[in-house]
Amino acid sequence: MVWLGLAIAFSLLYYLILMMALVIRFENLPNYLNVYEWAFNMKRIWLSTPSWFDTLNIMKDEWLFEIGFMNYDYGTGISQWSLFIAPAKVLGVIFLGVLLSANYLLLRTHNRVCSKDALRGAGLATGLGGTFVSLASITMSWVVCCSTPTWVVGLAMMGLGVSTSLWLEPVGIWVNIIGYMLLLASIYVAASRATANS
Amino acid sequence: MNIRTKLIPVLSLLSVIALQVQAETIRIAIGHQSMCTDTYTAGIVVKELKLLEKHLPTTGKYADVEYDVSWSDYSSGGPITNQMMANKLNFGVMGDYPLIVNGAKFQATDSLRTKYIAGTGYNLKGSGNAIVVPVESDIYSIEELKGKEVSVPVGSAAWGMLLKGMQDTGFSTKDYMLKNQSPAVGAANIAAKKIDAHADFCPWSELMEFRGTGRKIYDGSETGVPYLHGVVVREDFADKYPEVATAFIKAVYEAGDWIREDPIKAVDLIEKWTGVEKEVLYIYFSEGGHLTLDPSIKSEWVDALAFNHGVLVKEKAIPPLDFDEWITEEYVEAAYKDLGKSYKKDKASMVDPAIDNANLPMEIWHSREGISAYASIEEFLGAVDGFRKTGAKLNATYVYDKETGLKLFGKTAFFVLTKNGFETFLRKPDADAFASDAKGEVMDYESALATIGS
Repeated sequence: MVWLGLAIAFSLLYYLILMMALVIRFENLPNYLNVYEWAFNMKRIWLSTPSWFDTLNIMKDEWLFEIGFMNYDYGTGISQWSLFIAPAKVLGVIFLGVLLSANYLLLRTHNRVCSKDALRGAGLATGLGGTFVSLASITMSWVVCCSTPTWVVGLAMMGLGVSTSLWLEPVGIWVNIIGYMLLLASIYVAASRATANS
Repeated sequence: MNIRTKLIPVLSLLSVIALQVQAETIRIAIGHQSMCTDTYTAGIVVKELKLLEKHLPTTGKYADVEYDVSWSDYSSGGPITNQMMANKLNFGVMGDYPLIVNGAKFQATDSLRTKYIAGTGYNLKGSGNAIVVPVESDIYSIEELKGKEVSVPVGSAAWGMLLKGMQDTGFSTKDYMLKNQSPAVGAANIAAKKIDAHADFCPWSELMEFRGTGRKIYDGSETGVPYLHGVVVREDFADKYPEVATAFIKAVYEAGDWIREDPIKAVDLIEKWTGVEKEVLYIYFSEGGHLTLDPSIKSEWVDALAFNHGVLVKEKAIPPLDFDEWITEEYVEAAYKDLGKSYKKDKASMVDPAIDNANLPMEIWHSREGISAYASIEEFLGAVDGFRKTGAKLNATYVYDKETGLKLFGKTAFFVLTKNGFETFLRKPDADAFASDAKGEVMDYESALATIGS
C-alpha cells in the first residue's frame, strides 16, 4: 500500500510541479480549460491510421484535457502556454512513480541489502533515471515552441535555445528508455544480495 | 381503414428512417488561423460566409450525403499539423514554413501523407514578415542590430526571414542575441521597450505600427524570397472525396473575389470575426495591399518552399520532403475548370508591388466619411491638414514606399521633400540616400504636415 501510495503521490506532485513551473515562469494563472473526447479520438486514430507504428506513435500524444493561459490582447485570443494531460504519458509517469517508490523502499537504511558501493551506484542511477524520464514525460506547450505539447518545452523554458531544443525533440524516446533502464538497473542492484558484506 | 391503409404511413416512416441510417455523413474539419491575415481566404472568410457549404458536391455519389463541417482556430500552424496527424482535421491552412513542416512530418510516417493543393495568397518579395523596433528607438536599419537583443517566434516564417536578413547583412547568430518570443509577447515587449527588436509575421508588425508602439526597420521584401500561404489536405481524405477537396478550393477562389469586390466592407466584417483592426487589415487586402489573393501554385512558390526547407533542415534537422509527391495541381485545376476560370492565366500572373503599385493614390480613412484617395502626396498632406483643422477623426492614412511599392501607414513613413515635391519611404536609410541624391530633406509625418500648414 505504501508503495502504491507513493507512486500516485509522485504522479500528482509531478503534474503539480509542471503547472507551478508554468505559472511562475510566465507569471500568469491559467484562465482556460479544454476537455477533449479522448476515447472517441483514440478510436478515430485507430480506424484511420494504416500502420501500427504510426497508430501507436500518434495515440501516445492524444490528450484528455488542457489547462493554460489565453492572451486576449490581440484578436480572439492566443494560447500562450498550456499543460496537457495525455493518458499514455500519465501511465508513463505513474510507472516512473512505481519505480522511484520501489527504489526508495529498497534503499531505505533498514532495507539495505547490498554493499555501500552498490548502494551509491543505485542511488545515482535512480536520480539520473528519474530525471531523464521526468524530462521526457513533460507535456507542456508554449506558443514559441510551435504551440505543440512536447518534452523539449521544458528545456526551452529552462533557457536552452529553442532551435537546439527542437533539434533534440526526436531523441525524447531514447531519453525515456535510458531513464527507465537506469531505474530498473537500480532496483536490480539495490535488491541484490551484498555478497561482499555477507 | 383496412390494415394495408394503416401500414402505409408506418412503412413510409420506416423507409425514411432506413434511408437516413444509410445516408453517409462526411466530416470536414478545417484548421485555420484567425490571427494570420494571409490565411483568411481559406479560413475565416470561407467559414463565416459558408462558402464551402455553397460549393460542396450534392450529385452523383454525394446525392444522399450529409456534411458535418467544423472549423478550429489555432495561433500557429504547428498544432494544425498534429491534429491532422490524429485525423481530427482534414484540411489545414498555414504559412510557408509550417506547411513544409506539415509535408515533411507526414512523409516521415509509414502510412500517412498530406497534399499541398492550393495557395491562398502571396507577396512576391516577402512582405508580411518584418523586423520592428520600439517607436522611439534610435535604431533605423538591420545593420544597427549588431550586439542587440532580437526576438522572433522561432520556427515561423518571420524566423526564416530574420535568419536570411541577418545572413544577407553579414551577421552570424553570434553577432546578435536571438530570443524566442511569441507574437503577443514580442508585441508587448516592443510596447514596453523591453527588447531592442522583434521580428514577426503578418499582421503583427502593422498591428504594432497602427497602435503606435512599433516602427518597421526591415521589411521581408528585402530578402527577395516570396512569402506565401497555402492549403494542405490529408491524402486519404482527398483520395476518397476528391470533389470535396476541389470544392474547398472553389470556396478559396470565391473568398478572394469577395474581398477584391469590396475591400472596405470585407475588412469591416473580418475585424468583427477576428478582432484584428480593420485599418491593419486594409493594408493587406486593399488594392495595392501586401497580399495578392491567388490560389494557383506557381513554380516560384515551389522554389521558395524548397529554399525554406533548406533553412529548416539547417536549423532544426526536420525530415526530408519530396516536393513532387507532396504538391499537386490536380484539385486546383479542377476547381478553376468547374468555375470556368483560366488556371493558366492566374498561374502566369505575378503581382510585383514595385511595378503594380507605382501610380496608386494615397488614401485617408475618415472615421465617418470613409476612405478618400489623392493622386499626389501634396494633395494627401493638404487633405489631412484640412481634416485636422475641422477636428475630424482619421482612422488611418496610407502612402507607398518609393523603393518597394509597399503600402504604408502615413504616420510611420519617412517623407523626403525635394524641389519636385514629396516622396515617401518605409526605411530611413532609403529616405536618407534619396534625399542625399536629390538634395532633399528627410522628415517625419508631422513635419511633412507642418510644411503644408505653414
